[in-house]
Amino acid sequence: MRIPDRRFALFLMAPAAVFLAVFVAYPLVRLITDSFFKISPVVGGSREFIGLANYAEAFSSEAFTSAGWRTLAYTLIVVSLEFALGLGMALLFTMLGKQSQVWRTFFLYPLMIAPIVAGLLWKFLMIDNFGLVGTLLHQAGILSDPNQIGWLSDPSIVLFSVAIPDIWLTTSFMCLVLFAGLQNIPGDLIEAARLDGAKAPSLLFRIILPLLRPVIAVALVVRGIDAARAFDTILIQTNGGPDSASETMSLLIYRTMIRFGDPGLASAMGTIYLIAMLAVAFVAVTTIWRPGKDS
Amino acid sequence: MSAQSSTKPDAGQPATDYRPRHSGFVSAAPRLGTAGQPAPERTRKRRSRNREGLEAGRRSTRTLLWIILGAALVVYGFPFVYLVLTSFKTPIDTIAVPPTILPREWTLENYTSALGRSGVLASMINSVQTAVISTLLSLVLAVPAAYGITRYKTPSGQVFIMAALVTRMVPPVAIGIPLASMMASAGLADTPIALAIAHTTISLPLSIWLMASFFEAVPRDLEEAATVDGCSRLGALWRVVIPVVSGGIAVTAIFAFLASWNEFLFALLMTAVRSQTTPVVIANFQTQFGLDWGSMTALAAVFSIPVILLTLLLQRKIVAGMTLGAVKG
Repeated sequence: MRIPDRRFALFLMAPAAVFLAVFVAYPLVRLITDSFFKISPVVGGSREFIGLANYAEAFSSEAFTSAGWRTLAYTLIVVSLEFALGLGMALLFTMLGKQSQVWRTFFLYPLMIAPIVAGLLWKFLMIDNFGLVGTLLHQAGILSDPNQIGWLSDPSIVLFSVAIPDIWLTTSFMCLVLFAGLQNIPGDLIEAARLDGAKAPSLLFRIILPLLRPVIAVALVVRGIDAARAFDTILIQTNGGPDSASETMSLLIYRTMIRFGDPGLASAMGTIYLIAMLAVAFVAVTTIWRPGKDS
Repeated sequence: MSAQSSTKPDAGQPATDYRPRHSGFVSAAPRLGTAGQPAPERTRKRRSRNREGLEAGRRSTRTLLWIILGAALVVYGFPFVYLVLTSFKTPIDTIAVPPTILPREWTLENYTSALGRSGVLASMINSVQTAVISTLLSLVLAVPAAYGITRYKTPSGQVFIMAALVTRMVPPVAIGIPLASMMASAGLADTPIALAIAHTTISLPLSIWLMASFFEAVPRDLEEAATVDGCSRLGALWRVVIPVVSGGIAVTAIFAFLASWNEFLFALLMTAVRSQTTPVVIANFQTQFGLDWGSMTALAAVFSIPVILLTLLLQRKIVAGMTLGAVKG
């Protein structure tokens, strides 16, 4: 009467599997099906099968290709700055040891703040005229005029500005993961390198970073995926503007679906976006992470 | 690096060796998929040696490092402090040119006007409801699934945990609309339950990964002893394993709760007036009432501070709970 272990395991996993199938896999199937139709946005409107026409329209539209490049640039900005800052903080905490523990906890606080709040807060800090960032830089003598830099109104730098809240929110995560990784580096290894006369830079690039590789890979992939999907912070700060200069893929799909009322085209864009994300994540995991090859 | 070759903590290791490092977050996050995790026993030995390795010894170096840390923490902490300070300014001072850091005059005006607005208090109740339902749903589904995956190591389990990872890559904007129309046809349009289900699609994969890493650390002998004593497998899970991982469940619950509490896109797509959550209301301050920064900062403070405090307070409890549970186990 005792059911075999294998069945028992299936029985334990079934509810979660069914949930994900119904609420993630099924909507995805609907998304992909919708991408082959011309759909009228009104409720109960017409559906007309048009084959790959939506895909052709997406690839030939300038908004789509530039949103793709912008998403890539945004992701690179966020992930590289976060990695540099997170690694710096993790090294700082490691070098200070146990005494810095309380501050380590304090450093986690932005992780609990809603992206929408962070976006509004930074918009408030960087906004023209009464934004504090410009004023402080002006008072410090760096800028001749508080409004010299139009953080959110200058199309050439806006992509960087909208990335700031994202970086502020999740550098803690990067720091956390890298800090935990640093704790696993054997101390005698560092000692031995020091005795061999290794200076700080070579210690960092020859020993610490190679040893952290698996941890770094996980952190970069996880954060890269999140950054490529960023929506809240950008929507609230600029709504994609000025002149679409901060319109990333999530925003373009959202606007195509809701504002321009073209669910078919939006679905085709969503499908391409998803496939691109899976491909990039797969390549990243196999090349940077290389599970099993380093050990 | 031969020392890093052991991929997973030995299942037969005594539970006492499973010590959380520094915080619940730290102990959970890096295990998400690190291939080269050394066995916990080694970690502990290394940590004590590491103190001589990377920790700075010279007094002058340490002072310099403390100064850098202080500066970094000020820069990092200031934006939110400024938000809270602004919420106590008068509406006119909020947009004064040039802006001041401290309020010229301390007032609660922004709080009364933000909280007095129609729909604001209702949205907070909606936020709590949605987050609680989503957290419970996430735990009820993730705990057995993660246990099934780690304890029985069947091929289907391995496929499932990879599938859960892939779900993480799905952009919410891609499934939001189909999900909303599914809920509408099930008669759940604009309800906290529908939104909680949508939020669970985000938190469930993460919860499964976290719980799997916590179950991995529980020694198999524990349930074997229980089943020999006549417990069923489900009974052993419920009475023996669950109490040991209660700290891990708390950490997972916090992650799931935060994911739902702070979520915006699904809330924007799936709710109208009736079940609107606070993030949507905060975002609406921008358009609906012009640029009312004072009220916005007040509501943002009310919305964020309890969660920050709760998480930071609970975090110590979680660490204590985990250590205690492990020692008892």
